[in-house]
Amino acid sequence: MTDRTQTTIDTHLRHGDHVDSIESVDIVFRAQRKLSFTYGAIFFGVTLAIPAASVWWPTWYATPIWGGFTLNYLFVSLLYFVFLWSMAWMYSKQADALDSSLEHMADAITAQQSDTDEEG
Amino acid sequence: MNAIAITLVVVLITFTIALSIFSRRFTRTTADFYLAGRKVGSFSNASAISGDYLSAASFLGVAGAVYASGLDGVWYAAGFAGGFMVVVLFIASALRRFGEYTVADFAFGRFGSHRIRLITVVAVLLTSLFYMAPQMFGAGSTWQVLVGTGILGMDPYTSGVVVVTAIMAFYVGVGGMKGTTLNQIFQFWWLWFAMFLVVVFAFGNGFNYPEALAKASTGAIVNTKALTAKELTTPDAKTGKTQLDAAKSIMTPEEFTKVEAAVAANDPKAKIPVALPSKNKLHELRTMLFAEPGHRYNSFDQFSMVLALVLGTAGLPHILNRYYTNPSGAAARRSTFWVLIFIGTFYILAPIAGLAGVSFIKDYLANGGTIAAANVHGLLVKPDQIMPTLGSILGGQWLMGVVAAGAFAAMFSTIGGLLIAAASAIGHDVYEKYVDPNASEKKRVMVGKLSVLAFALIAMGIGLGIPYFGLDQAYPALIAMMVTWAFSVGASAFVPMLLTGIWWKGTTERGATAGIAVGLFSAIAIIFLNIFQQLGMVGKEGILGFFGALTFPVLFTFPLGLLTIIIVSKLDKKLPDNVDQIWMRIHGTASERHEKQHGLDKVGSLLGTKKA
Repeated sequence: MTDRTQTTIDTHLRHGDHVDSIESVDIVFRAQRKLSFTYGAIFFGVTLAIPAASVWWPTWYATPIWGGFTLNYLFVSLLYFVFLWSMAWMYSKQADALDSSLEHMADAITAQQSDTDEEG
Repeated sequence: MNAIAITLVVVLITFTIALSIFSRRFTRTTADFYLAGRKVGSFSNASAISGDYLSAASFLGVAGAVYASGLDGVWYAAGFAGGFMVVVLFIASALRRFGEYTVADFAFGRFGSHRIRLITVVAVLLTSLFYMAPQMFGAGSTWQVLVGTGILGMDPYTSGVVVVTAIMAFYVGVGGMKGTTLNQIFQFWWLWFAMFLVVVFAFGNGFNYPEALAKASTGAIVNTKALTAKELTTPDAKTGKTQLDAAKSIMTPEEFTKVEAAVAANDPKAKIPVALPSKNKLHELRTMLFAEPGHRYNSFDQFSMVLALVLGTAGLPHILNRYYTNPSGAAARRSTFWVLIFIGTFYILAPIAGLAGVSFIKDYLANGGTIAAANVHGLLVKPDQIMPTLGSILGGQWLMGVVAAGAFAAMFSTIGGLLIAAASAIGHDVYEKYVDPNASEKKRVMVGKLSVLAFALIAMGIGLGIPYFGLDQAYPALIAMMVTWAFSVGASAFVPMLLTGIWWKGTTERGATAGIAVGLFSAIAIIFLNIFQQLGMVGKEGILGFFGALTFPVLFTFPLGLLTIIIVSKLDKKLPDNVDQIWMRIHGTASERHEKQHGLDKVGSLLGTKKA
């Protein structure tokens, strides 16, 4: 989406007073990628561990632990959702904090680069 | 015919139409029509996304799957919810930051070619049609159960499909995204409340979750089927035994006498309900208990089913389009968190309702109670009828009415989202970009409305074609199966392109286009092979037989699409000239900082924009 305030040159993208440079965006991207893929690895690890345990771990799928609940049934019907909520909550908070901290860094890098360009 | 249920459904429909007419005054521009002005708050958007997502398959199908299959059915609930983690971690905020209107816009903006925009449009339309088919089938089937009679000389199934199509085309065409959003919010909370009420009534009637689960797991799961006399008496080629023999081993002498009488009548069209023993497909030597895995899936399908559900959510265009209605990337993440809370609580309740069905219906019938739904051996023949049946037993006609209206609410909210997605693809991605780029705003909105009508008519044709081609007879749980197909098509066509487009700068236009095409058409080819195999047109031998037997093609087609993108991009190496600018649009925050500074990131009213 473009708006009236947006201007672009080869390595910068300006919105009003705020500028993204490819260097600052690269820092944001790398930090965001690390965060997303770390959480993604945990999510897929846990999600695929459930069918794996259902195939190979009898204690998991065949031993009642609370009434008729096996570990398998309890996790899939209740605890998996708590796991999803916790993951989504923590990830959103960390991603927001990351955005916030990188905003200042991006502005600083952009300002520094502008100074360098002017000197050059 | 249930007068209270029909009254509540009519009230729901009337309210839905009134809301659309009311919101009409706020739909003036294409941004209003397709994106509700991009100012939908996290809570409202989360409610609307949840309504968009929870279809008849979730409302009727999940409880039914648990009722029929125990733990393997519960996986549907967990998998449907888990899909949103992929959305929040990898797609939501980047998609919103990039802006635009549709997934096709993203593909065009990211890779810069008309070719990729057009193939994405084709993929959006095909995925939406695959997802629309079970909604249409659900509309016809629910009408059959709820109303039982046809209108204007049509049979009940046709009446359901035609009436729901007409209502949906009207309310989406009139209300646009704002009307649809308002309706989806209302419809989601209605169906959530209906599920909640059923579970509350179950606990109020003495239901105890761990005890009921223990009781349901004391013996093997019993399957129910409705078969013709010929199907019952034809011996199996390997064992030489008939389905009638198997039924005799399960059913009581009184029940079996009725089956024998029906077989003796030898009506070739009559379907005879029978109870049959179940097999554990995962641990073949174990009895198939309710609380254990293996009723539906073998070890291969345990994994592929999870992946199909988890990856499929991120490939549904009507869900992805909703992310453009958020005011910022952070709001898109917050919306997804709330979606997980809303649908998570719903999916915790649905398996409880399924188990409550096991607990209550058998006792109710044993004590002389009668129900409208076909049953045998104390079990429903069609598990998808568990929700209205349970509502009727636990809370009488009023609760059944609330549940019936909930089923229609689930269908309406999903069909509404699909119609908007399809209209965006035709009206915005094709008409506005290629047919008449200089069209006035009024004309663009009109084309959007006509697109809604055209797509609704195509969907109606598919809905009517399902029984004509015998698909409802070929698949015992057709709604769940068709939803899984839509997930597979979306996951194979879009998710590899979105993941690489957002996270790998080296993705090229040729790579992404090839990946979409390979993922899309390989998934569709395997699905049709499966259909042809079920209809007896393709054998079970050879390579075609192997692929035709795949329940979830996504385990092959997703990696195939992803690998295609990586290999073609590596060979091609031709990145867009402005790749740095594109990268700054996806991952940069200057736009959001600017909006924050000037207060432009605030959520607007769904009922209109404030004048300056």
